[in-house]
Amino acid sequence: MNDNVFVWLNDPQNWAGTRFTAGIVDQIVAHLWYTVIGLVIAFVIGFPLGLVLGHSGRAGWLVSLANGLRSLPAVGLLILLYVVVSPLITGRGDLVYLVPTEIVLVLLALPAILANTYAGVRNVEPAARDAAHGMGMTERQVLLQVELPNALPLIFSGVRSATLQVIATATIAAYVGLGGLGRFIYDGLASHRFGEMAGGAVLVAALALLVDLTLALVQRYTVSPGVTGRFSRRATRADSRTAAVTEQVASEAATD
Amino acid sequence: MTRRIGILRALAGATVLLTALTACGESGSSSGSSGSSSSSGGDTIAADLVLGGPPEFENRTDGIPGLQKTYGVSFGDFRKLDAGGPLTINALKTGQIDAADIFTTDPSIATNGFVVLEDPKNLYAAQNVVPLINKDKATDGVKATLNAVSAKLTTDDLIDLNEKVINEKQDPAAVAKAWLADNGLDATGTQAAGTTLTVGSANFQENVVLANIYAQALQAQGATVNTQLNIGSRETYMPGLQDGSIDLIPEYTGVLLQFFDKNSSAVSSEEVYAALPSVLPANLIVLDQSQAEDKDAIVVTKETAQKYDLKSIADLAGKP
Repeated sequence: MNDNVFVWLNDPQNWAGTRFTAGIVDQIVAHLWYTVIGLVIAFVIGFPLGLVLGHSGRAGWLVSLANGLRSLPAVGLLILLYVVVSPLITGRGDLVYLVPTEIVLVLLALPAILANTYAGVRNVEPAARDAAHGMGMTERQVLLQVELPNALPLIFSGVRSATLQVIATATIAAYVGLGGLGRFIYDGLASHRFGEMAGGAVLVAALALLVDLTLALVQRYTVSPGVTGRFSRRATRADSRTAAVTEQVASEAATD
Repeated sequence: MTRRIGILRALAGATVLLTALTACGESGSSSGSSGSSSSSGGDTIAADLVLGGPPEFENRTDGIPGLQKTYGVSFGDFRKLDAGGPLTINALKTGQIDAADIFTTDPSIATNGFVVLEDPKNLYAAQNVVPLINKDKATDGVKATLNAVSAKLTTDDLIDLNEKVINEKQDPAAVAKAWLADNGLDATGTQAAGTTLTVGSANFQENVVLANIYAQALQAQGATVNTQLNIGSRETYMPGLQDGSIDLIPEYTGVLLQFFDKNSSAVSSEEVYAALPSVLPANLIVLDQSQAEDKDAIVVTKETAQKYDLKSIADLAGKP
Protein backbone atom coordinates (compact mmCIF):
# COMPACT_ATOMS: atom_id res chain seq x y z
CA MET A 1 0.00 0.00 0.00
CA ASN A 2 1.35 3.35 -0.99
CA ASP A 3 0.94 5.33 2.19
CA ASN A 4 1.72 8.94 1.46
CA VAL A 5 -0.10 12.20 1.69
CA PHE A 6 -0.40 12.80 -2.06
CA VAL A 7 -1.89 9.40 -2.72
CA TRP A 8 -4.33 9.94 0.15
CA LEU A 9 -5.43 13.36 -1.09
CA ASN A 10 -5.91 12.03 -4.63
CA ASP A 11 -7.99 9.03 -3.63
CA PRO A 12 -11.64 9.76 -4.52
CA GLN A 13 -12.71 7.38 -1.72
CA ASN A 14 -11.36 9.82 0.85
CA TRP A 15 -13.41 12.68 -0.60
CA ALA A 16 -16.58 10.56 -0.71
CA GLY A 17 -16.21 9.04 2.75
CA THR A 18 -17.18 5.65 4.13
CA ARG A 19 -20.32 4.46 5.86
CA PHE A 20 -19.33 5.75 9.29
CA THR A 21 -16.82 8.45 8.35
CA ALA A 22 -17.69 11.44 6.20
CA GLY A 23 -15.44 12.50 3.31
CA ILE A 24 -13.03 15.42 3.14
CA VAL A 25 -15.51 18.09 2.01
CA ASP A 26 -18.05 17.23 4.73
CA GLN A 27 -15.29 17.18 7.33
CA ILE A 28 -14.04 20.62 6.23
CA VAL A 29 -17.59 21.95 6.60
CA ALA A 30 -17.92 20.34 10.03
CA HIS A 31 -14.53 21.76 11.01
CA LEU A 32 -15.59 25.27 9.99
CA TRP A 33 -18.83 24.84 11.88
CA TYR A 34 -17.05 23.98 15.16
CA THR A 35 -14.71 26.91 14.55
CA VAL A 36 -17.53 29.39 13.87
CA ILE A 37 -19.53 28.42 16.96
CA GLY A 38 -16.48 28.79 19.19
CA LEU A 39 -15.40 32.10 17.66
CA VAL A 40 -18.84 33.69 17.68
CA ILE A 41 -19.36 32.87 21.36
CA ALA A 42 -15.87 34.10 22.24
CA PHE A 43 -16.45 37.29 20.22
CA VAL A 44 -19.81 38.00 21.81
CA ILE A 45 -18.17 37.75 25.24
CA GLY A 46 -14.71 39.15 24.57
CA PHE A 47 -15.41 42.07 22.22
CA PRO A 48 -17.89 44.10 24.34
CA LEU A 49 -15.97 43.27 27.51
CA GLY A 50 -12.70 44.40 25.93
CA LEU A 51 -14.32 47.66 24.72
CA VAL A 52 -15.75 48.51 28.13
CA LEU A 53 -12.63 47.55 30.10
CA GLY A 54 -10.38 49.32 27.61
CA HIS A 55 -12.45 52.49 27.68
CA SER A 56 -12.76 52.65 31.45
CA GLY A 57 -9.19 51.46 31.99
CA ARG A 58 -10.40 49.37 34.91
CA ALA A 59 -9.97 45.67 35.71
CA GLY A 60 -6.85 45.20 33.63
CA TRP A 61 -6.15 42.18 35.82
CA LEU A 62 -9.15 40.45 34.23
CA VAL A 63 -7.41 40.66 30.86
CA SER A 64 -4.22 39.19 32.34
CA LEU A 65 -6.28 36.44 33.89
CA ALA A 66 -7.95 35.67 30.57
CA ASN A 67 -4.52 35.58 28.96
CA GLY A 68 -3.64 32.78 31.33
CA LEU A 69 -6.31 30.68 29.63
CA ARG A 70 -4.04 30.39 26.60
CA SER A 71 -1.92 27.87 28.46
CA LEU A 72 -4.80 25.43 29.06
CA PRO A 73 -4.05 21.85 27.99
CA ALA A 74 -6.86 21.47 25.47
CA VAL A 75 -7.24 17.69 25.23
CA GLY A 76 -6.98 17.13 28.98
CA LEU A 77 -9.62 19.78 29.63
CA LEU A 78 -11.81 18.29 26.91
CA ILE A 79 -11.87 14.84 28.49
CA LEU A 80 -12.48 16.30 31.93
CA LEU A 81 -15.37 18.42 30.64
CA TYR A 82 -16.82 15.46 28.75
CA VAL A 83 -16.85 13.34 31.89
CA VAL A 84 -18.54 16.19 33.77
CA VAL A 85 -21.05 17.04 31.04
CA SER A 86 -22.01 13.56 29.80
CA PRO A 87 -24.38 12.66 32.67
CA LEU A 88 -26.25 15.96 32.17
CA ILE A 89 -27.08 15.52 28.49
CA THR A 90 -28.85 12.36 27.45
CA GLY A 91 -29.67 11.14 23.99
CA ARG A 92 -27.62 10.02 21.07
CA GLY A 93 -27.03 13.34 19.34
CA ASP A 94 -23.78 15.23 18.93
CA LEU A 95 -24.64 17.75 21.63
CA VAL A 96 -22.97 15.92 24.48
CA TYR A 97 -19.69 15.86 22.54
CA LEU A 98 -20.14 19.34 21.09
CA VAL A 99 -20.64 21.20 24.38
CA PRO A 100 -17.26 20.26 25.94
CA THR A 101 -15.49 20.85 22.62
CA GLU A 102 -16.95 24.33 22.23
CA ILE A 103 -16.17 25.27 25.82
CA VAL A 104 -12.52 24.45 25.18
CA LEU A 105 -12.51 26.38 21.88
CA VAL A 106 -14.17 29.42 23.46
CA LEU A 107 -11.63 29.42 26.30
CA LEU A 108 -8.83 29.37 23.75
CA ALA A 109 -10.30 32.07 21.50
CA LEU A 110 -11.37 34.42 24.27
CA PRO A 111 -7.93 35.69 25.45
CA ALA A 112 -6.78 36.90 22.03
CA ILE A 113 -10.04 38.72 21.30
CA LEU A 114 -10.39 40.22 24.77
CA ALA A 115 -6.75 41.26 25.18
CA ASN A 116 -6.47 42.80 21.72
CA THR A 117 -9.75 44.72 21.98
CA TYR A 118 -8.67 45.97 25.40
CA ALA A 119 -5.19 46.95 24.21
CA GLY A 120 -6.57 48.49 21.02
CA VAL A 121 -8.89 50.81 22.92
CA ARG A 122 -6.33 51.58 25.64
CA ASN A 123 -3.71 52.59 23.12
CA VAL A 124 -5.74 55.08 21.14
CA GLU A 125 -3.83 58.36 20.83
CA PRO A 126 -4.75 60.38 23.98
CA ALA A 127 -4.86 63.54 21.87
CA ALA A 128 -7.64 62.06 19.73
CA ARG A 129 -9.59 61.06 22.81
CA ASP A 130 -9.12 64.52 24.36
CA ALA A 131 -10.19 66.20 21.16
CA ALA A 132 -13.34 64.07 21.08
CA HIS A 133 -14.12 64.95 24.69
CA GLY A 134 -13.39 68.57 23.96
CA MET A 135 -15.95 68.50 21.17
CA GLY A 136 -18.53 67.48 23.72
CA MET A 137 -18.88 63.82 22.74
CA THR A 138 -20.42 61.55 25.35
CA GLU A 139 -18.39 58.62 26.70
CA ARG A 140 -20.41 56.33 24.47
CA GLN A 141 -19.67 58.45 21.42
CA VAL A 142 -15.97 58.59 22.27
CA LEU A 143 -15.87 54.82 22.55
CA LEU A 144 -17.85 53.97 19.42
CA GLN A 145 -16.83 56.83 17.12
CA VAL A 146 -13.22 57.47 18.06
CA GLU A 147 -11.73 54.61 20.04
CA LEU A 148 -13.34 51.70 18.21
CA PRO A 149 -12.37 52.77 14.66
CA ASN A 150 -8.84 53.45 15.83
CA ALA A 151 -8.64 50.13 17.66
CA LEU A 152 -9.90 48.09 14.69
CA PRO A 153 -6.48 47.00 13.38
CA LEU A 154 -5.59 45.47 16.77
CA ILE A 155 -9.07 43.99 17.21
CA PHE A 156 -8.77 42.34 13.81
CA SER A 157 -5.37 41.01 14.68
CA GLY A 158 -6.91 39.47 17.82
CA VAL A 159 -9.76 37.90 15.90
CA ARG A 160 -7.37 36.54 13.31
CA SER A 161 -5.01 34.96 15.82
CA ALA A 162 -8.00 33.53 17.71
CA THR A 163 -9.30 32.09 14.44
CA LEU A 164 -6.00 30.43 13.64
CA GLN A 165 -5.79 28.96 17.11
CA VAL A 166 -9.36 27.67 16.99
CA ILE A 167 -9.00 26.14 13.52
CA ALA A 168 -5.89 24.32 14.66
CA THR A 169 -7.42 23.21 17.96
CA ALA A 170 -10.81 22.21 16.52
CA THR A 171 -9.04 18.99 15.50
CA ILE A 172 -9.63 17.76 19.06
CA ALA A 173 -13.36 17.52 18.30
CA ALA A 174 -12.50 14.22 16.63
CA TYR A 175 -11.07 12.96 19.91
CA VAL A 176 -14.54 12.90 21.44
CA GLY A 177 -16.29 11.17 18.57
CA LEU A 178 -17.14 14.21 16.46
CA GLY A 179 -15.94 14.91 12.93
CA GLY A 180 -13.84 17.70 11.51
CA LEU A 181 -10.41 17.44 9.96
CA GLY A 182 -9.03 16.02 13.20
CA ARG A 183 -10.92 12.83 12.28
CA PHE A 184 -8.24 12.03 9.68
CA ILE A 185 -5.43 12.80 12.11
CA TYR A 186 -6.78 10.59 14.92
CA ASP A 187 -7.93 7.81 12.56
CA GLY A 188 -4.60 7.82 10.73
CA LEU A 189 -2.71 7.63 14.01
CA ALA A 190 -4.89 4.83 15.41
CA SER A 191 -4.72 2.75 12.23
CA HIS A 192 -1.05 3.51 11.43
CA ARG A 193 -2.06 5.11 8.13
CA PHE A 194 0.36 7.98 8.18
CA GLY A 195 -0.59 9.32 4.75
CA GLU A 196 -4.08 9.96 6.09
CA MET A 197 -2.66 11.59 9.20
CA ALA A 198 -0.42 13.91 7.19
CA GLY A 199 -3.28 14.60 4.79
CA GLY A 200 -5.48 15.78 7.67
CA ALA A 201 -2.70 18.02 8.97
CA VAL A 202 -2.10 19.54 5.52
CA LEU A 203 -5.80 20.26 5.12
CA VAL A 204 -5.95 21.98 8.51
CA ALA A 205 -3.00 24.18 7.58
CA ALA A 206 -4.50 25.00 4.17
CA LEU A 207 -7.87 25.82 5.73
CA ALA A 208 -6.23 28.06 8.33
CA LEU A 209 -4.34 30.00 5.65
CA LEU A 210 -7.44 30.37 3.49
CA VAL A 211 -9.59 31.65 6.34
CA ASP A 212 -6.86 34.04 7.49
CA LEU A 213 -6.57 35.39 3.95
CA THR A 214 -10.33 35.96 3.86
CA LEU A 215 -10.20 37.82 7.17
CA ALA A 216 -7.28 39.92 5.88
CA LEU A 217 -9.47 40.99 2.95
CA VAL A 218 -12.38 41.81 5.25
CA GLN A 219 -10.00 43.84 7.39
CA ARG A 220 -8.68 45.75 4.39
CA TYR A 221 -12.15 46.92 3.41
CA THR A 222 -13.50 47.68 6.89
CA VAL A 223 -10.65 49.46 8.63
CA SER A 224 -10.34 53.15 7.81
CA PRO A 225 -7.39 53.80 5.47
CA GLY A 226 -6.42 56.68 7.74
CA VAL A 227 -5.91 54.28 10.64
CA THR A 228 -3.92 51.65 8.79
CA GLY A 229 -1.51 54.07 7.13
CA ARG A 230 -2.56 53.19 3.61
CA PHE A 231 -3.75 56.77 3.55
CA SER A 232 -0.36 58.22 4.41
CA ARG A 233 0.51 59.48 0.93
CA ARG A 234 -2.28 61.99 1.22
CA ALA A 235 -1.95 62.59 4.92
CA THR A 236 0.00 65.65 5.85
CA ARG A 237 0.73 64.55 9.40
CA ALA A 238 3.54 62.18 10.29
CA ASP A 239 1.33 60.22 12.68
CA SER A 240 -1.16 58.54 10.44
CA ARG A 241 -2.94 56.78 13.30
CA THR A 242 -4.72 59.99 14.15
CA ALA A 243 -5.34 60.90 10.53
CA ALA A 244 -8.83 59.45 10.43
CA VAL A 245 -9.89 61.34 13.49
CA THR A 246 -8.31 64.61 12.44
CA GLU A 247 -9.92 64.25 9.07
CA GLN A 248 -13.26 63.67 10.72
CA VAL A 249 -12.81 66.53 13.14
CA ALA A 250 -11.77 68.83 10.30
CA SER A 251 -14.71 67.92 8.08
CA GLU A 252 -17.02 68.18 11.07
CA ALA A 253 -15.75 71.69 11.70
CA ALA A 254 -16.22 72.57 8.04
CA THR A 255 -19.84 71.36 7.99
CA ASP A 256 -20.64 73.25 11.16
CA MET B 1 -23.14 63.45 9.10
CA THR B 2 -19.65 62.46 8.02
CA ARG B 3 -18.59 61.21 11.43
CA ARG B 4 -21.28 58.55 11.13
CA ILE B 5 -19.12 56.93 8.48
CA GLY B 6 -16.67 55.95 11.19
CA ILE B 7 -19.28 53.99 13.13
CA LEU B 8 -20.73 52.49 10.02
CA ARG B 9 -17.33 51.19 8.99
CA ALA B 10 -16.76 49.64 12.39
CA LEU B 11 -20.17 48.03 12.54
CA ALA B 12 -19.89 46.83 8.97
CA GLY B 13 -16.60 45.20 9.90
CA ALA B 14 -18.12 43.25 12.74
CA THR B 15 -21.29 42.37 10.83
CA VAL B 16 -19.53 41.21 7.70
CA LEU B 17 -17.27 39.04 9.84
CA LEU B 18 -20.14 37.48 11.75
CA THR B 19 -22.40 36.89 8.77
CA ALA B 20 -19.58 35.47 6.69
CA LEU B 21 -18.63 33.02 9.40
CA THR B 22 -22.16 32.07 10.33
CA ALA B 23 -23.16 31.54 6.73
CA CYS B 24 -20.40 29.05 6.01
CA GLY B 25 -21.26 27.25 9.22
CA GLU B 26 -24.96 26.91 8.56
CA SER B 27 -24.51 25.43 5.13
CA GLY B 28 -22.59 22.57 6.72
CA SER B 29 -24.66 21.86 9.79
CA SER B 30 -26.93 19.43 8.08
CA SER B 31 -24.39 17.49 6.12
CA GLY B 32 -21.65 16.28 8.35
CA SER B 33 -21.18 17.72 11.79
CA SER B 34 -20.86 14.30 13.33
CA GLY B 35 -18.72 12.75 10.66
CA SER B 36 -20.98 9.77 10.64
CA SER B 37 -24.25 8.79 9.12
CA SER B 38 -26.93 6.50 10.40
CA SER B 39 -27.85 3.42 8.48
CA SER B 40 -30.92 3.20 6.39
CA GLY B 41 -33.45 0.68 7.63
CA GLY B 42 -32.17 -2.77 8.57
CA ASP B 43 -34.33 -5.04 10.68
CA THR B 44 -31.79 -6.52 13.07
CA ILE B 45 -31.32 -5.54 16.70
CA ALA B 46 -27.88 -4.16 15.89
CA ALA B 47 -29.33 -1.78 13.30
CA ASP B 48 -31.13 0.04 16.14
CA LEU B 49 -27.99 0.33 18.23
CA VAL B 50 -25.00 2.66 18.28
CA LEU B 51 -21.57 1.11 18.81
CA GLY B 52 -18.67 3.00 20.35
CA GLY B 53 -15.02 2.06 20.11
CA PRO B 54 -11.52 3.18 19.15
CA PRO B 55 -11.12 4.89 15.74
CA GLU B 56 -9.29 1.96 14.13
CA PHE B 57 -12.23 -0.34 14.98
CA GLU B 58 -13.93 0.81 11.77
CA ASN B 59 -11.37 -0.99 9.63
CA ARG B 60 -9.80 -3.54 11.99
CA THR B 61 -10.15 -7.17 10.87
CA ASP B 62 -11.90 -8.01 14.13
CA GLY B 63 -13.71 -4.65 14.23
CA ILE B 64 -16.74 -3.65 12.17
CA PRO B 65 -15.75 -5.81 9.15
CA GLY B 66 -15.23 -8.80 11.46
CA LEU B 67 -18.59 -8.35 13.21
CA GLN B 68 -20.26 -8.27 9.80
CA LYS B 69 -18.35 -11.21 8.38
CA THR B 70 -18.39 -13.53 11.38
CA TYR B 71 -21.78 -12.76 12.90
CA GLY B 72 -23.65 -10.79 10.22
CA VAL B 73 -23.91 -7.98 12.77
CA SER B 74 -24.07 -4.46 11.38
CA PHE B 75 -24.61 -1.63 13.86
CA GLY B 76 -26.84 1.33 13.01
CA ASP B 77 -24.06 3.77 13.77
CA PHE B 78 -20.49 3.77 14.99
CA ARG B 79 -19.07 6.48 17.24
CA LYS B 80 -15.30 6.81 17.30
CA LEU B 81 -14.18 7.29 20.90
CA ASP B 82 -11.19 5.78 22.69
CA ALA B 83 -9.77 2.32 23.37
CA GLY B 84 -11.82 1.30 26.40
CA GLY B 85 -10.99 4.61 28.11
CA PRO B 86 -13.06 7.15 30.01
CA LEU B 87 -14.89 8.41 26.90
CA THR B 88 -16.21 5.00 25.90
CA ILE B 89 -17.16 3.99 29.44
CA ASN B 90 -18.96 7.28 30.06
CA ALA B 91 -20.78 7.21 26.74
CA LEU B 92 -22.05 3.69 27.46
CA LYS B 93 -22.99 4.54 31.03
CA THR B 94 -24.97 7.62 30.02
CA GLY B 95 -26.64 6.00 27.02
CA GLN B 96 -25.00 7.95 24.20
CA ILE B 97 -23.92 4.60 22.80
CA ASP B 98 -25.65 1.24 23.31
CA ALA B 99 -22.72 -1.10 22.83
CA ALA B 100 -18.98 -0.64 23.21
CA ASP B 101 -15.68 -2.30 22.47
CA ILE B 102 -14.12 -2.59 25.93
CA PHE B 103 -11.41 -4.82 27.40
CA THR B 104 -12.70 -7.79 29.39
CA THR B 105 -10.56 -6.97 32.44
CA ASP B 106 -11.92 -3.45 32.77
CA PRO B 107 -13.19 -3.06 36.36
CA SER B 108 -15.87 -0.61 35.17
CA ILE B 109 -17.75 -3.55 33.63
CA ALA B 110 -18.57 -4.88 37.08
CA THR B 111 -18.96 -1.41 38.62
CA ASN B 112 -21.62 -0.41 36.11
CA GLY B 113 -23.24 -3.82 35.67
CA PHE B 114 -22.34 -3.97 31.96
CA VAL B 115 -22.95 -7.26 30.18
CA VAL B 116 -20.11 -8.82 28.19
CA LEU B 117 -21.56 -10.55 25.14
CA GLU B 118 -20.22 -14.03 24.50
CA ASP B 119 -18.08 -14.63 21.46
CA PRO B 120 -18.86 -18.25 20.45
CA LYS B 121 -17.18 -17.97 17.05
CA ASN B 122 -13.94 -16.57 18.49
CA LEU B 123 -13.97 -13.31 16.58
CA TYR B 124 -11.56 -12.06 19.21
CA ALA B 125 -8.38 -14.11 19.31
CA ALA B 126 -7.18 -15.42 22.66
CA GLN B 127 -5.14 -12.92 24.68
CA ASN B 128 -3.58 -14.92 27.48
CA VAL B 129 -1.02 -13.17 29.65
CA VAL B 130 2.41 -14.61 28.97
CA PRO B 131 5.97 -13.60 29.96
CA LEU B 132 8.05 -12.64 26.90
CA ILE B 133 11.71 -13.05 27.84
CA ASN B 134 15.20 -12.88 26.40
CA LYS B 135 16.39 -16.46 25.79
CA ASP B 136 19.75 -15.82 27.53
CA LYS B 137 18.06 -14.77 30.75
CA ALA B 138 15.58 -17.64 30.88
CA THR B 139 17.48 -19.93 33.22
CA ASP B 140 15.62 -22.88 34.70
CA GLY B 141 15.17 -20.98 37.97
CA VAL B 142 13.75 -17.92 36.23
CA LYS B 143 11.42 -20.11 34.17
CA ALA B 144 10.20 -21.99 37.25
CA THR B 145 9.54 -18.71 39.10
CA LEU B 146 7.58 -17.09 36.27
CA ASN B 147 5.69 -20.29 35.39
CA ALA B 148 4.55 -20.47 39.02
CA VAL B 149 3.13 -16.96 38.66
CA SER B 150 1.36 -17.84 35.37
CA ALA B 151 -0.10 -20.98 36.93
CA LYS B 152 -1.91 -18.87 39.56
CA LEU B 153 -2.96 -15.85 37.50
CA THR B 154 -6.63 -15.74 36.42
CA THR B 155 -8.84 -13.27 34.53
CA ASP B 156 -10.67 -12.47 37.78
CA ASP B 157 -7.30 -11.60 39.30
CA LEU B 158 -6.67 -9.14 36.46
CA ILE B 159 -10.05 -7.47 37.03
CA ASP B 160 -9.30 -7.27 40.75
CA LEU B 161 -5.79 -5.88 40.17
CA ASN B 162 -7.18 -3.27 37.76
CA GLU B 163 -9.89 -2.33 40.23
CA LYS B 164 -7.21 -1.62 42.84
CA VAL B 165 -4.78 0.37 40.68
CA ILE B 166 -7.27 2.17 38.39
CA ASN B 167 -10.32 2.80 40.57
CA GLU B 168 -8.75 2.84 44.02
CA LYS B 169 -5.48 4.45 42.82
CA GLN B 170 -3.36 2.07 44.86
CA ASP B 171 0.38 1.79 44.23
CA PRO B 172 1.02 -0.94 41.59
CA ALA B 173 4.05 -2.26 43.50
CA ALA B 174 2.01 -2.67 46.70
CA VAL B 175 -0.85 -4.31 44.79
CA ALA B 176 1.62 -6.72 43.17
CA LYS B 177 3.10 -7.56 46.57
CA ALA B 178 -0.31 -8.29 48.06
CA TRP B 179 -1.23 -10.55 45.11
CA LEU B 180 1.98 -12.56 45.50
CA ALA B 181 1.34 -12.95 49.23
CA ASP B 182 -2.29 -14.03 48.67
CA ASN B 183 -1.15 -16.71 46.23
CA GLY B 184 1.69 -18.03 48.39
CA LEU B 185 4.33 -16.85 45.92
CA ASP B 186 6.17 -14.49 48.28
CA ALA B 187 8.40 -17.13 49.90
CA THR B 188 12.07 -16.23 49.47
CA GLY B 189 14.44 -18.64 47.77
CA THR B 190 17.52 -18.87 45.59
CA GLN B 191 16.03 -20.33 42.40
CA ALA B 192 16.87 -17.29 40.28
CA ALA B 193 20.04 -16.22 42.12
CA GLY B 194 22.85 -14.85 39.95
CA THR B 195 20.58 -13.58 37.15
CA THR B 196 20.31 -9.88 36.37
CA LEU B 197 17.21 -8.80 34.47
CA THR B 198 15.53 -5.62 33.29
CA VAL B 199 11.75 -5.91 33.47
CA GLY B 200 9.79 -3.57 31.23
CA SER B 201 6.10 -2.77 30.88
CA ALA B 202 3.73 -1.09 28.45
CA ASN B 203 2.10 2.18 29.43
CA PHE B 204 -1.15 0.94 30.92
CA GLN B 205 -1.84 0.08 34.53
CA GLU B 206 -2.60 -3.62 34.17
CA ASN B 207 0.70 -4.23 32.41
CA VAL B 208 2.56 -2.21 35.04
CA VAL B 209 1.13 -4.36 37.85
CA LEU B 210 1.99 -7.55 35.98
CA ALA B 211 5.57 -6.33 35.45
CA ASN B 212 5.74 -5.57 39.19
CA ILE B 213 4.54 -9.09 39.97
CA TYR B 214 7.22 -10.63 37.72
CA ALA B 215 9.90 -8.36 39.16
CA GLN B 216 9.01 -9.03 42.79
CA ALA B 217 8.68 -12.79 42.28
CA LEU B 218 12.13 -12.90 40.70
CA GLN B 219 13.63 -10.69 43.42
CA ALA B 220 12.23 -13.01 46.09
CA GLN B 221 14.07 -15.83 44.34
CA GLY B 222 17.39 -13.98 44.47
CA ALA B 223 17.56 -12.34 41.04
CA THR B 224 18.86 -8.78 40.60
CA VAL B 225 16.02 -6.89 38.94
CA ASN B 226 15.92 -3.46 37.31
CA THR B 227 12.58 -2.10 36.17
CA GLN B 228 11.71 0.15 33.27
CA LEU B 229 7.97 0.62 33.53
CA ASN B 230 5.48 2.57 31.41
CA ILE B 231 7.70 2.45 28.32
CA GLY B 232 4.93 2.94 25.79
CA SER B 233 3.21 0.93 23.12
CA ARG B 234 4.43 -2.32 21.57
CA GLU B 235 6.13 -0.41 18.73
CA THR B 236 8.18 1.43 21.35
CA TYR B 237 9.28 -1.40 23.64
CA MET B 238 9.73 -4.23 21.17
CA PRO B 239 13.02 -2.86 19.75
CA GLY B 240 14.31 -2.74 23.35
CA LEU B 241 13.54 -6.43 23.78
CA GLN B 242 15.18 -7.26 20.48
CA ASP B 243 18.40 -5.37 21.24
CA GLY B 244 18.59 -6.74 24.80
CA SER B 245 18.09 -3.50 26.76
CA ILE B 246 14.88 -5.02 28.19
CA ASP B 247 14.84 -8.70 29.13
CA LEU B 248 11.30 -9.45 30.24
CA ILE B 249 7.85 -7.98 29.68
CA PRO B 250 4.29 -9.19 30.33
CA GLU B 251 2.64 -9.81 26.96
CA TYR B 252 -0.68 -11.01 25.55
CA THR B 253 -0.58 -13.96 23.17
CA GLY B 254 -3.00 -12.80 20.47
CA VAL B 255 -1.62 -9.31 19.92
CA LEU B 256 1.94 -10.60 20.15
CA LEU B 257 1.21 -13.07 17.35
CA GLN B 258 -0.50 -10.36 15.27
CA PHE B 259 2.49 -8.06 15.78
CA PHE B 260 4.88 -10.50 14.14
CA ASP B 261 2.45 -12.25 11.78
CA LYS B 262 -0.30 -10.01 10.44
CA ASN B 263 -1.94 -12.84 8.50
CA SER B 264 -2.22 -15.34 11.32
CA SER B 265 -5.63 -16.94 11.59
CA ALA B 266 -5.10 -18.65 14.95
CA VAL B 267 -7.88 -17.79 17.43
CA SER B 268 -8.07 -20.29 20.31
CA SER B 269 -5.65 -20.11 23.25
CA GLU B 270 -3.90 -23.32 22.20
CA GLU B 271 -3.57 -22.38 18.52
CA VAL B 272 -2.22 -18.92 19.27
CA TYR B 273 0.25 -20.16 21.86
CA ALA B 274 1.45 -22.91 19.53
CA ALA B 275 1.96 -20.45 16.67
CA LEU B 276 4.05 -18.02 18.72
CA PRO B 277 7.53 -19.64 18.86
CA SER B 278 7.91 -19.75 15.08
CA VAL B 279 7.20 -16.04 14.59
CA LEU B 280 9.14 -14.53 17.52
CA PRO B 281 12.59 -12.98 16.90
CA ALA B 282 15.43 -15.47 17.51
CA ASN B 283 16.47 -14.03 20.89
CA LEU B 284 12.99 -14.04 22.43
CA ILE B 285 10.85 -16.86 23.85
CA VAL B 286 7.54 -17.06 25.69
CA LEU B 287 7.20 -19.07 28.91
CA ASP B 288 4.00 -20.85 30.04
CA GLN B 289 0.86 -18.88 29.34
CA SER B 290 -1.54 -18.09 32.16
CA GLN B 291 -5.28 -18.61 31.89
CA ALA B 292 -5.76 -14.90 32.54
CA GLU B 293 -7.05 -13.09 29.45
CA ASP B 294 -7.46 -9.44 28.61
CA LYS B 295 -9.18 -9.08 25.28
CA ASP B 296 -11.67 -7.02 23.31
CA ALA B 297 -15.31 -7.66 23.98
CA ILE B 298 -18.60 -6.21 22.80
CA VAL B 299 -20.26 -4.91 25.94
CA VAL B 300 -23.80 -3.59 26.44
CA THR B 301 -25.62 -2.13 29.42
CA LYS B 302 -27.78 -4.39 31.55
CA GLU B 303 -30.93 -2.60 30.31
CA THR B 304 -30.05 -3.16 26.66
CA ALA B 305 -29.22 -6.81 27.33
CA GLN B 306 -32.59 -7.34 29.05
CA LYS B 307 -34.56 -5.37 26.48
CA TYR B 308 -33.34 -7.45 23.55
CA ASP B 309 -32.49 -10.62 25.51
CA LEU B 310 -28.82 -10.49 24.49
CA LYS B 311 -26.29 -13.08 25.59
CA SER B 312 -23.89 -13.40 22.69
CA ILE B 313 -22.75 -11.23 19.81
CA ALA B 314 -24.71 -13.49 17.47
CA ASP B 315 -27.98 -12.40 19.16
CA LEU B 316 -27.41 -8.90 17.78
CA ALA B 317 -28.15 -10.17 14.27
CA GLY B 318 -31.62 -11.33 15.39
CA LYS B 319 -34.89 -9.47 14.92
CA PRO B 320 -35.89 -7.01 17.64
